[in-house]
Amino acid sequence: MSGPIGKPTPYIDGVEKVRGQAMYTDDYKLPNMLYLTFLRSTESHAKIKSLDISSAKSYPGVVAVATGKDIPVSFGILPISPDETAMAVEKVRYNGEIVAAVAGKTVEAAQEAVKNIKVEYESITAFTDPHDSLEKCNLEEQIHPHTKDGKNIHKTAELRFNEPEKELETAKYKQTGFFKFAGVTHAFTEPHSTLAIWNGDKTLTVISATQVPHYLHKNLSKVLGLPLHKIQVQKPALGGGFGGKSDPFPHEMITAYMAMKTKQPVKCTFSREEVFITHHGRHPTEMSMSVSCDNSGKITALDTDIIIDGGAYGSFGVVTSYYNGVLLQGPYKIDKFGFRTRRAYTNKHQCGAMRGHGAVNPRYAVEVILDMLAQDLNMDPCDLRNKNFLPENSFTVGEFRITSNGVRDCLDTVRKKSDWDKRYGKLPYGRGLGIACGFFISGSALPIIWNRYPQTVVHAKLDFDGRIVMFSGASEIGQGSDTMLVQIAAEELGIALDYVQVEVADTKTTPVDLGSYSSRVTFMVGNAAKTASSNIRKEMAKAIGKEKNVSPDKLIFANSRIQTQDKSIDLSWEDGVEIAMAGRGAFVESGHYISPKLGGKYKGAGAGLSPSYSFGAFISEVTVNSDTGEVNVEKIWAAHDCGKALNPLAVEGQIEGSIHMGIGQALTEEMRYKNGQQMNPNFFDYRIPSSVDTPDMDISIIESNDPEGPYGAKEAGEGPIHPVLPSIGNAVYDAVGIRMMELPMTPDKVLSKLKEMS
Amino acid sequence: MEYYHIPSSVEETLSIADNYSGNYTYFAGGTDIQIYRKQKLDTHDHIIDLSRLDELKSITVNKDHLHLGAMTTLDDIISSDIINSNYPLISEAAKSVATPVIRKTATIGGNLLVNNRCIFYNQSKEWRDSIGSCLKDKGDICQVTGGNKSCYARNVSDTATALVALESEIIFLTPSGSIQKPLTELYLPCGIKSNELDEHSILTGITIPIKAEKWWYRKLRLRKTLDFTSLTVAATVDSDRIARICLNGVSMSPVLIKEALKSLTLESLIKQARKNCKTVENDLMPLKYRREMINVYLKECWETLH
Repeated sequence: MSGPIGKPTPYIDGVEKVRGQAMYTDDYKLPNMLYLTFLRSTESHAKIKSLDISSAKSYPGVVAVATGKDIPVSFGILPISPDETAMAVEKVRYNGEIVAAVAGKTVEAAQEAVKNIKVEYESITAFTDPHDSLEKCNLEEQIHPHTKDGKNIHKTAELRFNEPEKELETAKYKQTGFFKFAGVTHAFTEPHSTLAIWNGDKTLTVISATQVPHYLHKNLSKVLGLPLHKIQVQKPALGGGFGGKSDPFPHEMITAYMAMKTKQPVKCTFSREEVFITHHGRHPTEMSMSVSCDNSGKITALDTDIIIDGGAYGSFGVVTSYYNGVLLQGPYKIDKFGFRTRRAYTNKHQCGAMRGHGAVNPRYAVEVILDMLAQDLNMDPCDLRNKNFLPENSFTVGEFRITSNGVRDCLDTVRKKSDWDKRYGKLPYGRGLGIACGFFISGSALPIIWNRYPQTVVHAKLDFDGRIVMFSGASEIGQGSDTMLVQIAAEELGIALDYVQVEVADTKTTPVDLGSYSSRVTFMVGNAAKTASSNIRKEMAKAIGKEKNVSPDKLIFANSRIQTQDKSIDLSWEDGVEIAMAGRGAFVESGHYISPKLGGKYKGAGAGLSPSYSFGAFISEVTVNSDTGEVNVEKIWAAHDCGKALNPLAVEGQIEGSIHMGIGQALTEEMRYKNGQQMNPNFFDYRIPSSVDTPDMDISIIESNDPEGPYGAKEAGEGPIHPVLPSIGNAVYDAVGIRMMELPMTPDKVLSKLKEMS
Repeated sequence: MEYYHIPSSVEETLSIADNYSGNYTYFAGGTDIQIYRKQKLDTHDHIIDLSRLDELKSITVNKDHLHLGAMTTLDDIISSDIINSNYPLISEAAKSVATPVIRKTATIGGNLLVNNRCIFYNQSKEWRDSIGSCLKDKGDICQVTGGNKSCYARNVSDTATALVALESEIIFLTPSGSIQKPLTELYLPCGIKSNELDEHSILTGITIPIKAEKWWYRKLRLRKTLDFTSLTVAATVDSDRIARICLNGVSMSPVLIKEALKSLTLESLIKQARKNCKTVENDLMPLKYRREMINVYLKECWETLH
């Protein structure tokens, strides 16, 4: 590749963000703009006996007040569980749920007016422990009326292949572990923010900090009863998502409703505490998992039973339930395989998708158990893993199609770089090494809402100025998708990066992209962008060939020139553009991506299907203070197979970010509750590792060149988090001989394990 | 801004304070108190910003005594050669407070008078209204113990721990003149009113009389920076072989154990510490663990002192 593909390329939006010039949602200020604030429930589970908004309405500076009854249409990211309304209707299901909204001329007026809303609650038994939600309860205690058998179970996902339980009964080498994971949250920098404008032509524009403009577009239409063609959703600069902005949210519905109602622009920006209340992070999880293997270390069966604490509403929960199980089908070949996940509704803020969606916690469990089995067999844990990797071009037991697979390279790389063979098991007491592998989807092969359209379309436009504009619905959320669009167009057309600009994430002007979730953008949008820009090249070559009387395929596009091999034709890019546009003017070419038909025919076969999968292997080195239980991660060697690194700088950044986030969940981060109310809803008490808590990182990018990814690329945004946590857990074992079955492994838990052992 | 006052002398400060009696808050850096403003834990109408009191920004040595002006920033303390060479315990303690950026603004006086903390108190107004207020706020019951008499909010000043172990004295100015007394006497064993400075007085400086022959310092926290302490221990032995061991973050005020080294044993040290620390479940680190760490820290500390 002669162009920018594969070369470290700084983000095109980087400089503006660093200089503070980038426009985030909250930076937009419009004439006559109103500010929105909310009355939030102080109860975890209660009927709303009465709600009096009259004095709030008449409060000076207030323009409008709304309650749940004004917009009662239910919605949700998944069409199978639209169980949420914009504001509580008749009852509240968690502490912090929005009960009423006030739009005022100033923030202060709206805030003061909220205090004048009178609400009376009648408490209902609150379910804060997911185990209680699995039991039968009185009808009036049910969190949602639609759950079955009088229980508060949202979803039971279960798949079973080749009777793993039978194998496990008789297996000679078997380990079972009971694991417990606290909930964690995304902790992105930019709080949720939405600005809605009711335009003169009776259309609605919603500017919002969202990863999913398309799904927001659809849900706004449903809730507001406004036709799709009258709604425009724009995503401006966005300060981090990690899955936390991948749902359509109540505040987005309410802001839009208030703009329609008042005919004035309305803006809503959350406080950090409101961001924590809104949550949608990783589910608190409990699981028991059993894995068996034969004498040679070959895995023979895996079975696991999982309870995830979903909180009050569905969000991505049905997908999360499946991902907890199905993503254990790799990177190891396991033919006897089963899982059951039950997602409980509880009276807490809802959980949803977060980086590594659904698969992070079970990955910890399986990698720790494999370490235990290696111990039983007296085998090196790297060797045991090496014996079990899925081959390239194969199928998993649940019929996932594996194409490229660089996991063996990943393992060999970190093993060598960390000097594993000389050091594992031989370091002094208190210092240890741990290995773990990873496996993740490179985009979900199925759209969330079934339809006959492609999963993404990209338009490339060429005009007289020689500029290429890439139109894409893809949402840049810091992962580098805008830069990728530019790189691909520049590569295909042989032009400098600065000839290419983007128009993105605007449902009025850009073709649909489903959103920045499930690590799908590079793979799917990248392929579409490649087609669109290569179509521009073909059109140009056709026109130039005709004018210069040369076969189009003899024309080489490189170094911002268009030439034949012998340079008998040697045009500047601008001259080429003029020829291509003669008689027709500016033109647009299109590219799209549709995932191939994949997967089995059984119920649930669609969960976890992806056109390609990423792999990884990480080794962590830790020190453990056996007097205090403090764990310190000294270094992490990371190797991730992303197919082909289109932008190695971005891939490294994603791996580093994953390590940082993984260390947080492993060691310090935790959603703490008392009676359903979060105890640490701020960045002071919710403890994200700081720069000084972050270890040295040695990052290796493994390129397995996927046959279907653009230039061979696969995902790198989520897969790298999976091996982080278990590699730390396994290193703690190597250091001091204890198996940490509960995360985060705070010093108190480590110390009590150490005491248990002695 | 009519509510924001920036006096340039101590006299002016006291007169503004007198003017708005009962309705003002001092910013001695303001890095912590601004959060109290935001969370509506501090609702006074007036702010008196002390950042221009240059007379209170000093590090001097006088007749073997180290003197620190109350408005000296923690960063100035850390970068002071005098302190680093002669009083490393003080810079060690200052270095363990907050983050480098905060230490550029936070002052030694502000840190000595930092508000006592509790997980049920240091929350937003909406949060407190939702769970029910507490004794330290506007309620009539302690959310930690369920009792209605005592508040156990923790003193979390790291520099106080070190300065108490150095037998420091504080100087404060009152309408009737300057008063000097031991730092230990500043603190009250009460989570609500945690020091005895009244609103007509202002802390102006700290005098440190002794140099430690041996010292030990450690702070317990989940992250290596930013976090307030879950347990801080500072200890010194002076030239007369007197040991001073101060624990903080585990009680309403710093707990000092002072004894001749020859008569002190580790067992009695631990026993005294455990008896004098009124530690309750009011920190994100569990109570049981923090109690265990008192033993672990004192044991390590003892090895250095002895």
